[in-house]
Amino acid sequence: MSNKKVIQTLALVVDTFREAMARKIIWGFFGCSTALILFFLLLVKIDVVQGAIATMSLFGKTGQAQDMSKMVTTVHAVISNLLYGFGMLLAILASAGLIPTIFEPGRIELLLSKPVSRTHILLGRYLGNLLVIAANIFYPVIAVWLIFGIKTGVWTPGFLYSSLLTVFMFGVYLSIIVIVGVQWESAVVATMITFAVIVISIILNFQSGLERLLTSDWSRDVVRVLYYILPKGVDIGKMMTNIIKGQPIDSWMPFWSTALFGLCCLGGGLYIFEKKNY
Amino acid sequence: MTYAIETEGLTKVFRKNWSKTEFRAVDGISLRVEPGTTFGLLGPNGAGKTTFVKMLLSCSHPTAGFAKVFGQDTQTRQAREPIGYLPENHRFPTYMTGVGMLDFYGALSGMDSDSRKRRIPELLELVGLGQWGSTRIGKYSKGMLQRVGLAQALIHEPRLLVLDEPSDGVDPVGRRQIRDILEALEKKGVTIFLNSHLLVEVETFCRDVAIIHKGKVALQGAVSDLTAGSGYKVEAENVPDNLAAELHATAKTHSHNNGSYQVLFDNRESANRAIDLLRAQQCPIEKFGRVNSTLEEVFIRTVESK
Repeated sequence: MSNKKVIQTLALVVDTFREAMARKIIWGFFGCSTALILFFLLLVKIDVVQGAIATMSLFGKTGQAQDMSKMVTTVHAVISNLLYGFGMLLAILASAGLIPTIFEPGRIELLLSKPVSRTHILLGRYLGNLLVIAANIFYPVIAVWLIFGIKTGVWTPGFLYSSLLTVFMFGVYLSIIVIVGVQWESAVVATMITFAVIVISIILNFQSGLERLLTSDWSRDVVRVLYYILPKGVDIGKMMTNIIKGQPIDSWMPFWSTALFGLCCLGGGLYIFEKKNY
Repeated sequence: MTYAIETEGLTKVFRKNWSKTEFRAVDGISLRVEPGTTFGLLGPNGAGKTTFVKMLLSCSHPTAGFAKVFGQDTQTRQAREPIGYLPENHRFPTYMTGVGMLDFYGALSGMDSDSRKRRIPELLELVGLGQWGSTRIGKYSKGMLQRVGLAQALIHEPRLLVLDEPSDGVDPVGRRQIRDILEALEKKGVTIFLNSHLLVEVETFCRDVAIIHKGKVALQGAVSDLTAGSGYKVEAENVPDNLAAELHATAKTHSHNNGSYQVLFDNRESANRAIDLLRAQQCPIEKFGRVNSTLEEVFIRTVESK
């Protein structure tokens, strides 16, 4: 990448950060994360002084050092799932407008008049948006991991890896926002369609149960095909819990098929953007 | 010769997705703008000016023909490097300060950090916003937005400046200041392509103009040629009726106004003969001169005749 391209990419990323900071929802996200960190910081500090070095208490429960690992892993899993569910919801709401706003008349013309390719503009914005949310996810995860690690001596890397999966999943949902945002230039439509995809993918997770309810072969085939095409949020969530608990991953199919879906949406968004007239 | 702007058969057809109707916004425009020129693009609303400009900036893709900027096809990224652009209904991000906004667009133009740091205070001073650099753009007035928009267009020292209604919303003092800035740029050899509804502004500032109507170039040429003499006017007093009748026979038009007699001739010879006759009859001559059309008259004549 040439020096000019690096400068342009940085400008697009920093601009996305600035715009995100101007939105109150990002500060809400940051506030929730800080509250979570303070909660654990104060809680662990109080309980540590109650026990001996070999035994500690968390949430008022006293355990041996051996149980401590299990307890910390459980807390990690709860926080990961909280971020994966509630955090993802906030992340989508916070960033749904960040991509469609660049297509506003009077703003897009100015961006396109600069010596930057359309692909570069959209990918720069996508990267900026992804980094904004990644920062908001890594902030509580790293802080909580450090708090528990220092206080309990349990340093499970699975918790850190799980946050990468959360960012990955957000990246996939963001690619839906990209394609819808480019096509319809509306944050509301982009949010609605992204949530619709999430809900449908959750329903499709009960694929075997659904197939039993359906009477015709073709409708069962439709369910099966949709399951493989759409992102598998529930399966990725399960993978995340397995990683935290140090358990093996049964199949990586949900990961790569979800990644493929994200790439197709992003590619589609870039194609539409290249062809569009403003 | 490499033109600052060169278009050949540039056409843009908009088609509705679900019907077969189509609209030719720009219809085969061939235009050449020489480097260092000040060029005005005129036309009534919906004539195709904005679509034409958008194709120059690759915001819109041509259906047919091509457009080049300094010899580079406008569909390439390189063609946009020498262009500074100020859109008409710009929407600058309101969360940015003046400095932040200039820094962002400077970086997008490929300027390094040091160049931006040097250039931004210079430009803010130039457009009269030296004190407002750290204020959020959301708090700027319309005139201030135009000024910071102009600064944005100038940030990377472009060779071609495309301005869409640059003095829209700017007070007369600010308008004069903008004109001074543009004149200084013209002297430096910057090509200025002006799209404005203010015909007086175009007439005083631009060397060449093109009038676009219904997607086509209806008239093009140097402002001085287009507005050049449509006749010679003589104004005199106490003209006797018999002489007035004699002058009327060779005149284009004539009129009486508060004892003053005004007569318009097609050519200089007829006007000189009339002056001789008026002097012979000792009629005081108040005025004599070549009559020029205003650009507004040329514009209205062109648009109404098509």
